[in-house]
Amino acid sequence: MVDDLDAKAGTDADHLDGCAECQARFKTISDDASSIATLLAVPEARVDVRRAFETVMRAPKTQPALGRLPFLRPRTRPLTLMFVAAVAAAALVVVAFAAGGFFFQPTTVKAVPITVADIQALSQLADYGTVTWTKEPQLQATTSAADAAAIAGGMQPPVVAQLPAGVSTTVTYGGMSEAQATFTFSAAKAAAAAAAKGKTLPKLPAEIDGATLTITVGPAVGEIYGAMNKPTTGSSTDQINLPQLIIAKSASPKVTSTQVTAQQLEAYILAQPGISDQLTNAIKAIGDPSTTLLIPVPIEYATSTPVNVQGVEGVALGDNTGVGSGVVWVKNGSVYVVAGSIKQSDAIGIANNLK
Amino acid sequence: MNLGARRMTAVRTDDEAFEALFTAEYGRVVGIANRVLADPHEAEDVAQEVFIDFHRLHAASADYAPAWLHRAAAHSSLNRLRGARRRQKREFAQAMEEGERTLDPQTQLEMGEDRRRVREALGRMAPKPAAVLVLRASGLSYAEVAQALGVGISQIGTLLRRAEDTLRKEVTRGTSN
Repeated sequence: MVDDLDAKAGTDADHLDGCAECQARFKTISDDASSIATLLAVPEARVDVRRAFETVMRAPKTQPALGRLPFLRPRTRPLTLMFVAAVAAAALVVVAFAAGGFFFQPTTVKAVPITVADIQALSQLADYGTVTWTKEPQLQATTSAADAAAIAGGMQPPVVAQLPAGVSTTVTYGGMSEAQATFTFSAAKAAAAAAAKGKTLPKLPAEIDGATLTITVGPAVGEIYGAMNKPTTGSSTDQINLPQLIIAKSASPKVTSTQVTAQQLEAYILAQPGISDQLTNAIKAIGDPSTTLLIPVPIEYATSTPVNVQGVEGVALGDNTGVGSGVVWVKNGSVYVVAGSIKQSDAIGIANNLK
Repeated sequence: MNLGARRMTAVRTDDEAFEALFTAEYGRVVGIANRVLADPHEAEDVAQEVFIDFHRLHAASADYAPAWLHRAAAHSSLNRLRGARRRQKREFAQAMEEGERTLDPQTQLEMGEDRRRVREALGRMAPKPAAVLVLRASGLSYAEVAQALGVGISQIGTLLRRAEDTLRKEVTRGTSN
């Protein structure tokens, strides 16, 4: 209230001119503000803009990189965490149920409810063996669809027919090459991991010890629209970490296995301590685990509904508040994801019109 | 064609827009960070990080660009202020710098002490009121503060007064401890 025209305008200003009481109050406020301004005073910083600009442009970080997307930064909130947790758990569940008839390639998706305890229980499975990349994924962000397709072995990024109002047209494309990893179960490692945590585990069946799962993911392409952390829509930088819209297409993950069947794995995983009844029941209710991609939905944070997308059954997450929603479906050998800080109805609309 | 050529044009245009944005806002972004940190060198570090972050994820022509930068400058520097290790480092740098000035030693000491107390008090405040104070003290108008923090302009007067009260109490609390 010291010197800003916005602070006293129109009728307020007229009133102030004629009211001694308000003038006195205004003076107190102004004096307070001046004393604060004095408190916060600092010697002015002298800057060399040219040199600073060159420093900033030299920083390698100025190139967009998929590994540094804001929703993967450590400064995250539950909504963001939910997505990270969902991705991590999805990877594990895919691995875990991947071995139906020694071959897994999903042709449909199903949501399963998952709790934080489930995620913890499932994450310990990673300690029961060794992961080796036989083909490491190459990730790259680019400004052109053509470059992204080149990285993804020719797979073209899906084209959005029409962006919902309010979604920025600023787009970053991403591509990922096909990647392959092998997980080898080890009874010795599982026992050691359990001992380290002071737990008793169901014994790893003899058939599973030494069995390998070979997981192939990608190639994948995608695009990210907008304007993250748009300040006019929230009151804190920490609140909005989701990009406005992410669209991704990936070849369905494939898993092959030696020695072990889906039923054996399922029985073993569901016997782990900490797995909720809810998750157990949901998984048991799924007919053929070898052709179903499970989408873990953290029940504390999100809801899911089955939805028809492009003539196939998909899973819709989130709601119509615009805080966050997503749609996942499998069609013609590819998994598609549309997600972002948009309404669920918009997400479904985009999904149906994706080319 | 010309996909490649078109892309080149787009890239160049965005770089140009970024340079224009940088030239227009760098001084102010450093100013905001310096207001919080009372250390011009660290303020420049913060400002450059803020621009790098922005450039990585946003189009320089976006209409929200200045507001984004102002807010990020306030929050990043306030975050730094709260880091204890950095605080010590900064005080040392500040003491060195102020030692070079031609003030008499007693005045230097008092100024340094006041500044330190005010920064400690700022660091103890909630992020939003602290940001309101800092942005306003850095010369942003009510409208600019409102945009940077994503609140209505009509709330700024009240927010500022409350924040001023809080800062004053925090400074007093720091002195009496």
